Amino acid sequence: MLGKIFESLYNKVFVNIIVDRSKSTVYIEMCSKDKVVNSYEEVFSTNSLNNNMLEFIATNTEESPYHYISILDRSATQGAIPTCSKNKIAYYEDVSSVEYKCFNEKWTYFTSQEELYSLQKDYEKLGLDFIFSPFVILADFFEDKINDHMAMFILIEDSYISLSVFDNGQLLFSEHLDLEHTANDELLLYEDINEFTESKDVEEEFNENILEDEMPINEADGFNEDYQRFALIQSAVNGFYKDERYDSVFIESVYIADGVGVSNDLKRYLEEEMFLSVYIRHVDLATRVCELAKSELGI
Amino acid sequence: MKYSYINSRKKSALTQEMKLLISFFSITLFMLFSTYLFLVFKEYRFSQDRTEIVQERQELKVTLREMEDENLLSERVYTQNSVLKESIANLFDLIPARITLSQADLLENGLILYGITPNKDVYNFMLQAPLRSIFHKTYSSFYPAENGWLRFVSTNHIESDELEIFEEEEIEDEN
Repeated sequence: MLGKIFESLYNKVFVNIIVDRSKSTVYIEMCSKDKVVNSYEEVFSTNSLNNNMLEFIATNTEESPYHYISILDRSATQGAIPTCSKNKIAYYEDVSSVEYKCFNEKWTYFTSQEELYSLQKDYEKLGLDFIFSPFVILADFFEDKINDHMAMFILIEDSYISLSVFDNGQLLFSEHLDLEHTANDELLLYEDINEFTESKDVEEEFNENILEDEMPINEADGFNEDYQRFALIQSAVNGFYKDERYDSVFIESVYIADGVGVSNDLKRYLEEEMFLSVYIRHVDLATRVCELAKSELGI
Repeated sequence: MKYSYINSRKKSALTQEMKLLISFFSITLFMLFSTYLFLVFKEYRFSQDRTEIVQERQELKVTLREMEDENLLSERVYTQNSVLKESIANLFDLIPARITLSQADLLENGLILYGITPNKDVYNFMLQAPLRSIFHKTYSSFYPAENGWLRFVSTNHIESDELEIFEEEEIEDEN
C-alpha cells in the first residue's frame, strides 16, 4: 500500500539499451503514470558499458528509485521454436543449456543461459531489469500482420537478423542470423555478387557501375551488408524448405522490420531473386524495447 | 505479459536521501512527541499537586476551625476555671477562722459545705450571713460532734433563672 503511494509520487524512468557492433544506443523515457513526460536518446561509441555511459544512465536514474533498465538480447545462440510443449521442444533444440519462455502459449523463444549470465555480468554495475528477445520485438511489432497472414517476418539489427515464418499466428520456422560471423566469408560474398551481376543486362550493369563509383565508402559497405543479409536470408529460407522438422509452406511475402536503415537493394534482391513481395517498416528498436518494458509493468 | 528472460529487481522508494529524510522527520516527531508527553505529564502532576493543595487547604481550614474552637473552649474553660478558682478563693475567704470545713461540694447551681463549728451562733453570724447574700436558698442542719462542737451541713442554691442571666452576662463579657 505504502509502496504504491510512493510509486505514484515518482516518475518511472525506462532506460533502454541497444548494443550494436561499435556503438550503444541508450534511450531514456520518463513516464508519469501512463504519460510520457520526457524522452531522449544518446549514442555511445562503445559496445560495452563504459564510464561515460554509466555516468549518463546514473544521472538519469538517480532522480527516481523506480527506474527499469532493459536491454535487447544480442546473444548469438538464440531463436524460436514452433511449440510450447516441453516434450516437443527437444525435437527442435537442445534446451539443456538455454533459457526459454513460451509466447502466448503458441511458440517458444530461447537464448543461451551462458550468454544471458554473461550479459548480466557485463552490466553488473548498472543492473538489468529486463532482457528481451528480438523475436518478441518482431512478434510485437508485426502483431497486426502475424495473426492473419502467412508470411516471413524479419527483424534487421546492426549485427543480427531475426527471421521467422508465421502462418496465421502460428510460428513455422525461425532462425537468428549472425552478420558478424559470416562477414569474414568475403570470398563467398563476392562470388555471389559476381553471379548476381552476371545475371543482369549490360545497361543495368553499366548503371550500377556508375552508381558504385559515385557511392561513398559507407554506402558501399551498406550495399555489401544488404547483400550479405540477403544471402543469409536466402540461406535460411532454403534451410526452412529443406529441413524436415518444419512444416514447409511456400513463402510469398516478407515483412521487414528495419532497425538499421537498409537500402532499397535488399528489397530488390528479395523481390528479384526470391520472388517475394517485400514490405519494409522502419522500427525504432529502443522505443520497442521501452514499450515492452512498460507492458511488463502493466503500463 | 511476461516476455523478459529475467525478473526486474525490487524497487524501493527508500533511497539514501529518503532514508535521511525519514530519519530526520522521525527524530523530529519523536522529540515533539516526547515534549508533548513531558508537558502532559507535568500538567498532570501540576493538577494533582493543585488538587492536593486544595485538599490540604480544606483540611487546614477544618483543623484551624477545630483549633479555634478548641482555643475558644480552652479560653472558656480557663475563664470558668478562673471564676471557679476565684469562687473557691472567695469561698475560703468566707470561712471564718473559728469554723473548720471538712468537705465542700461545688454544684452547678449550688454549694454544699460540711464542717465543724464551736456553736450555732458562730456559724449563723460568721458564715450563714455571707452565704445568704450570695445564694437564694440556704439550708443548714447541725448535729453534735464528740468534742462538744457541732457538725454542720450547709446546702445553698441559686435560682436557675438567675444562673442563666449570670451565664449570659459572662458570655457577653467574653465576646
